[in-house]
Amino acid sequence: MIETRLGEFEEVILLLTGILGEEAYAFKIAEEFESQTKRSVSIGAVHSTLTRLEEKGFLKSEMGKSTAERGGRRKRIYTITAYGKKTLTAAKEFKQALWDQFPGFATSKVSFGLS
Amino acid sequence: MSANTKPPGLATWLLKSFLRDDLVEEVQGDLDEKFQTDLKTKSRYKAKWDYWYQTLNYLRPFAIKKFKRLSAMNNQLLGNYFKISTRNILKHKMISVINVFSLAIGLAACVVIYLFVSDEQSFDSFHSKSSHIYRLDEVQKFTGTNEQKVALSMPGMGPALKRDFPEVNNYVRFWLRGKQLMTKDETKQLIDNVMVVDSTFFDFFDFPLIHGDVNTCLDRPLTILLTESTALKFFKSTDEALNKTIFWDGRDYQITGILKDVPENSHIQFEALMSMVTYTKGEDNVNNSWGGNWMTTYLLLEPNSNIKRMEEKFPKFLSSHMDDPQINSNYKLFLQRLDQVHLASNDIEHDYINYRKFNGSYLMIFYVIAGFILVIAAVNFMNLTTARASHRWKEIGVRKTIGAKKLQLFGQFIFESVMLAGIALTVALLLDILFIPILNDLIGRQLSIVQLFHNVWQLAAVLLATLSLGIITGIYPSFYMTSFNLSRVLKGGNKSEGKSVLRSTLVVIQFGLAIGMIVSTLIVIQQLSFMKESDIGFDKDQMLLVNMNNEANEKFETIKKELQKQSMIKGVTASGQRLGNNLHQWGFKVKADTGVLSITPSNVNVDYDYLTVYGMEMKEGRGFSKDNLNDNGRAFVINESFANELKLKETIGTRAGHDWYHNDSLGTIIGVVKDFNFNSLHYKVNTLALVVHPEWGYNELSVKIEKGRNAEGIAAVKKVWDELVPSYPFDYTFLDAHFEEVYRSDKQMSAVVTIMAGLSILISCIGLFGLAAITIEQKTKEIGVRKVLGATESQITVLLSRNFAGLIGIAFVIVSPVAYLTLQRWLETFAYRIEINLLVFVAGGVLALVIGMLVISYHTLRSARANPVKALRYE
Repeated sequence: MIETRLGEFEEVILLLTGILGEEAYAFKIAEEFESQTKRSVSIGAVHSTLTRLEEKGFLKSEMGKSTAERGGRRKRIYTITAYGKKTLTAAKEFKQALWDQFPGFATSKVSFGLS
Repeated sequence: MSANTKPPGLATWLLKSFLRDDLVEEVQGDLDEKFQTDLKTKSRYKAKWDYWYQTLNYLRPFAIKKFKRLSAMNNQLLGNYFKISTRNILKHKMISVINVFSLAIGLAACVVIYLFVSDEQSFDSFHSKSSHIYRLDEVQKFTGTNEQKVALSMPGMGPALKRDFPEVNNYVRFWLRGKQLMTKDETKQLIDNVMVVDSTFFDFFDFPLIHGDVNTCLDRPLTILLTESTALKFFKSTDEALNKTIFWDGRDYQITGILKDVPENSHIQFEALMSMVTYTKGEDNVNNSWGGNWMTTYLLLEPNSNIKRMEEKFPKFLSSHMDDPQINSNYKLFLQRLDQVHLASNDIEHDYINYRKFNGSYLMIFYVIAGFILVIAAVNFMNLTTARASHRWKEIGVRKTIGAKKLQLFGQFIFESVMLAGIALTVALLLDILFIPILNDLIGRQLSIVQLFHNVWQLAAVLLATLSLGIITGIYPSFYMTSFNLSRVLKGGNKSEGKSVLRSTLVVIQFGLAIGMIVSTLIVIQQLSFMKESDIGFDKDQMLLVNMNNEANEKFETIKKELQKQSMIKGVTASGQRLGNNLHQWGFKVKADTGVLSITPSNVNVDYDYLTVYGMEMKEGRGFSKDNLNDNGRAFVINESFANELKLKETIGTRAGHDWYHNDSLGTIIGVVKDFNFNSLHYKVNTLALVVHPEWGYNELSVKIEKGRNAEGIAAVKKVWDELVPSYPFDYTFLDAHFEEVYRSDKQMSAVVTIMAGLSILISCIGLFGLAAITIEQKTKEIGVRKVLGATESQITVLLSRNFAGLIGIAFVIVSPVAYLTLQRWLETFAYRIEINLLVFVAGGVLALVIGMLVISYHTLRSARANPVKALRYE
């Protein structure tokens, strides 16, 4: 059995980090999460997940620039590592494989992971 | 950023205080950015609220600081603390024993005091309505008599108060009938504390009823309730007793209920209760009785009643029910809450229903003493630990070098002192188990350490108190020892420790308290022996008192003649009331030149030779004589106070009589007796009139027995009694035993103070012993050098003692004025008291000094005699 090693929330955060690119820091990711999923989340929760993902080696981070709204404080920008990308792909493929075995949905295109 | 666009300050502060340092910048940045974004789309209030929400959401394991202190206090470390503490305690056995024992004695004393105080405070607390029950008391102020507070009231007052005051929910009255002879078939028993009570009794008090109906058992005339043990005197079982009758005073009473025996901690003690309705029928209805005060009334008030406002309305209440224009200058009513009756009635007289009455202000003194003892014990601990600090420098140094945090060292020392306190508590409880029985004998109590374990909260409080004692006493030494800086510690420190201002101050406090308590003990003992020895104006020793009934009164002359034949009987007389409390007061008239004076003295009905048998001395005139026919009911002997109050030119021969005598048929004052203290010495001698009135009947026979022949005397009186008075059992007591009871509260206080003073000097001396050992040890080298240079043994002894003597001296100077003022205030509660002799203070100070010097002499002499070579080799 293949283990995805990624929780649903973790997977989304990882994807959002990829989507946001240069702008991927805790607050922005949380904001993006809320607007994409219509679910509310605290920055703390996102930050906690980001830290965990970094510990697992899916993400790396470095301090970025500061802006006026932040009272001159820098932000921590997260980027996906190669290992992170590989895991994401593996997760997607694993689920796709599962979907393909599902008789009723075998050919339909669905977005998975979220609903 | 303007103030309006700043995030909430408190939240920011909170965030900073718990957030990991390396996260602060990015997180604060994120939250600020969010806040600013929110401000554009939402209200400021909402943005702030959201900021708080975000802040609190950062309380996650990954984000918060690692609290090193918490992680350091792991089991392993505690285990190490325990090991090191145990080693230290065992290594310095003498100091540890001193520490543990002084704390243990202190704790044991506090536990005893707590048990004593809580025993007193438990009085009457078992009644569920106790906070709404009040006793009606009076302040009486009549001409020619001392103003007095009394626990009596008029029978009409209760019912009228219920009618007139919406605050009064109900009333219950007690009419104390004292000891009564009751019969059932062949069984005759003297039943003590017989009371007549209203049927509302059970609406007030929660005395449990075993048989019978709480609601109706006192509703009918001629019904009686017995306590369990009273019922068992007449019947085989309580079941059998219910609804049977019992015979008393010419009538049968039906037993409608059996009560559990009255608990010890009730100020109302009774063996039988009779229904008041027996007396509220027909012409003699007591509900309409005003003028005479012979009942005790309790009121059940509505919750939240304003006592002050009620008391303000009492004068109007009195004048609306009694015609007397003088009524409000003679009487003032006041209310006393149930929990005050036991502890705050010491200035109340004619207080006959008040078992084991105790002076509540003594409880405060006990608490203060307990505090003193603890302070003295705690001082020992602090002094010895800091004085001994040099022994532990190496340990502290090594610990610091290998990276112990200050807080860890601190924790270790606190742990050690808490551990000692814990051991001390165990020893304290053992001491209490050993000594409480002895103490009970001494003060006449049934205290038990077991009481402490009945209540989880009490036990928790004791443990908590011990814990905090350990922590508090540990704080200063720990702080002191951890404050050394490392280089000094490793160099071995310096030896300047012998002089510590704080340590000296603590010794001064300790000895100050001890001296204060010694002096107080001496004064208290003096006052009590003054009361015991002082000439109260009559002879209370060797006086046997025997309860009399009608038959005994009828045969009084025969009994007297029979008794006088016995060689060990020195005198026989009788009286209507017993000495040792206030005597009943009623109106008295004296026909002076200016007209008839109305006065209310105390009165007592006595036998002809009463004054002679009791050894009371006449000041003027003559005593009663049987030869003079008019002496029966028409002759009065008044006391000196009364004579002074009258201020007549010629007292003897003045016409006088009781209130109800007709002005034309008054009697004569035939003599003035020297003042004698018929009441307790707390009170001034009241005005008193004695009369011989055999027809009223006497209550008690007084038999004076030759010293050392008590047993013979009692047997002789019993023999005569049983022959002549078959209708009433021989029931006796001794007058001095009654006086013991009068001064019980004072005596128990004095016993406690004496014991505690002894303990406080003991603990202080134990401490001094230890302290001397340490400081002298530190001076070993100095002593050696001095001896080599030719100092004599006595010079060295003086040198070593001087310091301690000085501290005791300072303590004496500081504490004396305080003790003087306190004792003066206590003495003022006695109308007859000793003058404080300043020599007592000197004696107390010298005693403390001598004991102190003796205690340290063990060390001073030893080191003064020691071989200087040994001393110089030391270290």
